[in-house]
Amino acid sequence: MTATASAPCAGRRGESLANNDRRPVYLNNAATAWPRAPGVVEAVADALRTPPAHPGRSGGRTPDVAAECRRLLAGLLGVSTPERLVLTVHATSALNLAIGGLDLRPGELVVTTVTEHNSVLRPLNHLQRDRGIRVTTVGLGEDGGLDVRAFEQALAEQPALVVVNHASNVTGRVTEVGPLFARARAAGAVTLLDASQSLGHIPVHAPALHADLVAFTGHKGLHGPPGTGGLYVTPGLELGQTFVGGTGVRSDLRLHPAEMPVRLEAGTPNLPALAGLAVALRWGTTDGRRLNANLQRVASRLRNGLRSLTGVTLFDDVPEAPRTGVVSFAVEGWRVDDVGCALEESFGIACRTGLHCAPLIHRAIGSAPHGTVRLSVSGFNSDQDVDAALEAVERIAR
Amino acid sequence: MTIVRVEKVEDCFDGSSVYRYWLDRTWTREDILGLQALGELEYFADFPRPFFRLHCPDGMQAKGVEGEDNCQAVFPSRDRETIRERLEAFLQR
Repeated sequence: MTATASAPCAGRRGESLANNDRRPVYLNNAATAWPRAPGVVEAVADALRTPPAHPGRSGGRTPDVAAECRRLLAGLLGVSTPERLVLTVHATSALNLAIGGLDLRPGELVVTTVTEHNSVLRPLNHLQRDRGIRVTTVGLGEDGGLDVRAFEQALAEQPALVVVNHASNVTGRVTEVGPLFARARAAGAVTLLDASQSLGHIPVHAPALHADLVAFTGHKGLHGPPGTGGLYVTPGLELGQTFVGGTGVRSDLRLHPAEMPVRLEAGTPNLPALAGLAVALRWGTTDGRRLNANLQRVASRLRNGLRSLTGVTLFDDVPEAPRTGVVSFAVEGWRVDDVGCALEESFGIACRTGLHCAPLIHRAIGSAPHGTVRLSVSGFNSDQDVDAALEAVERIAR
Repeated sequence: MTIVRVEKVEDCFDGSSVYRYWLDRTWTREDILGLQALGELEYFADFPRPFFRLHCPDGMQAKGVEGEDNCQAVFPSRDRETIRERLEAFLQR
C-alpha cells in the first residue's frame, strides 16, 4: 500500500516533482485522509450524474443514502438508534449543534481540556462571552495524558457539560475517556466526545465510553468525502434547534419538526457526499479494518525513526501511550514552517505545521508559541512513505 | 526578475506579516546566491529540489525553492513597509 499525492502547498509542486521522478508522499491524514476509501470517488460521481432524489421525497424509488449512513454509523458507534444520528457537513457543525443546543445558562460550568480543537474552544469562548457561562480547561499531567486529578476537581463543581477529545490532532495521544465520562455523568454533566481524530481509527463505542454526544467527521479516519460528518445524540437528550427551515417532511408545520433526526437537520442534504460516505462506511467495516493495523505499524515506524534522529525533538514522546497516526516534532535551528516548506516543496512530503487549530496544547507539550511540524499517516501509507519522510527530516536536521 | 503578484499567506497567526511573491521566472542558482547581499543565506543545494532561506539583519526572513517562480517572506512588525519595499526593489532589480 502507498499513498502518494500532489502536495497542496504553492501550486505545481506535484508536477515538478513528477518531472524529477519523485512521487509526493501524503502524510497529512489528520487534516484530510487521502486516498479515499475504494469506491468513494465513483459513488460521489455516480450520484452527481444521476437525477437527484431526496430522502423522504422520492417515494422510495432510489436508495436512501442518508438512512444507510445513519444505519452504518449507528453500528460503528455501538448504538441501536440510527435516528439519533444527525448528519452534518463536518465535525465543526456537529460540535456547534451540540454545544449551542444545550441551552447553557449564565454561570453554568463547562469542563474541557487543553487538547481541544478550536471547533470546541471557540464555541465555548463565544458562549462565555455572550451568555456568561464558565469554562474550566483541564491541563495535562506529568505523563502527558490528561490531568485526571484536576479533571476530578473540576467535576466537584458540578459542570453542566464535559467536552473531551478522544485523540489529539497534535500529538495523536488517545484519552481514555470511558472512566472520565462515567464520573462526569455521575456528577450530573452531559458528556460530549469529539471523535474527529478517532472514529475509523480506533473503536468509538458510545455506550461503553459513557458519551451522551459524539461528534465526528467523514473525511478523516473514515476515508470518506469532505463535507460529511455527524452527531450522535443519546436517547432522552433533546438538543435545542440551531438550524431550522426546509426539511421535505411536515411542510404543513409552522415550526421545524421536533422528531429526530430531522429535528437537527435542515436544508438540502449533500447527497453525493453521503453516497460516498456510505461506501466508505461499508468498506470500513470490512477491508478498512485491516488498514488500522498497518496504520499503527507505520506510525510506530515513523515515531521511532524520528526519535532516533539527531536534532529532532518529538513532542509528547511517551512510547507506551496509545495513539493514532499523528506525530509532532521540531528540528533544532529551524522554524517549523521552514521545515514544512522544505518537506513539501523540496522533498514532496505533504505535512502540516503550526498550531493545528489547537492553540492551548502547545504550552503543555513545550511547542509554544510556534507549534509543531505534524506528520500523520493513514492505513494506506507504506514503509516506503515513512522512510522517505525520515530521510527528508534527517537531511533537513543534518 | 519581475514581481507578477503578491499575496498574503494565511497561517496560524496574524498573517499580515507573511507574503508570497510570484515572479515572472523561476529561481536560478545565481538568483539565490545573489540574496547574500541582503543577509545570511542558507542554500541546501543537495535537497532533491534545492531549498533556500534567508535571514536579514532587519528581521525579515525569506524562503523558496530553486526552479519555482515564487518565494515567501516574513516581515517584522517594526519598519515593515520599509523592509518590504527594500525586498521588492531587490527582486525587481
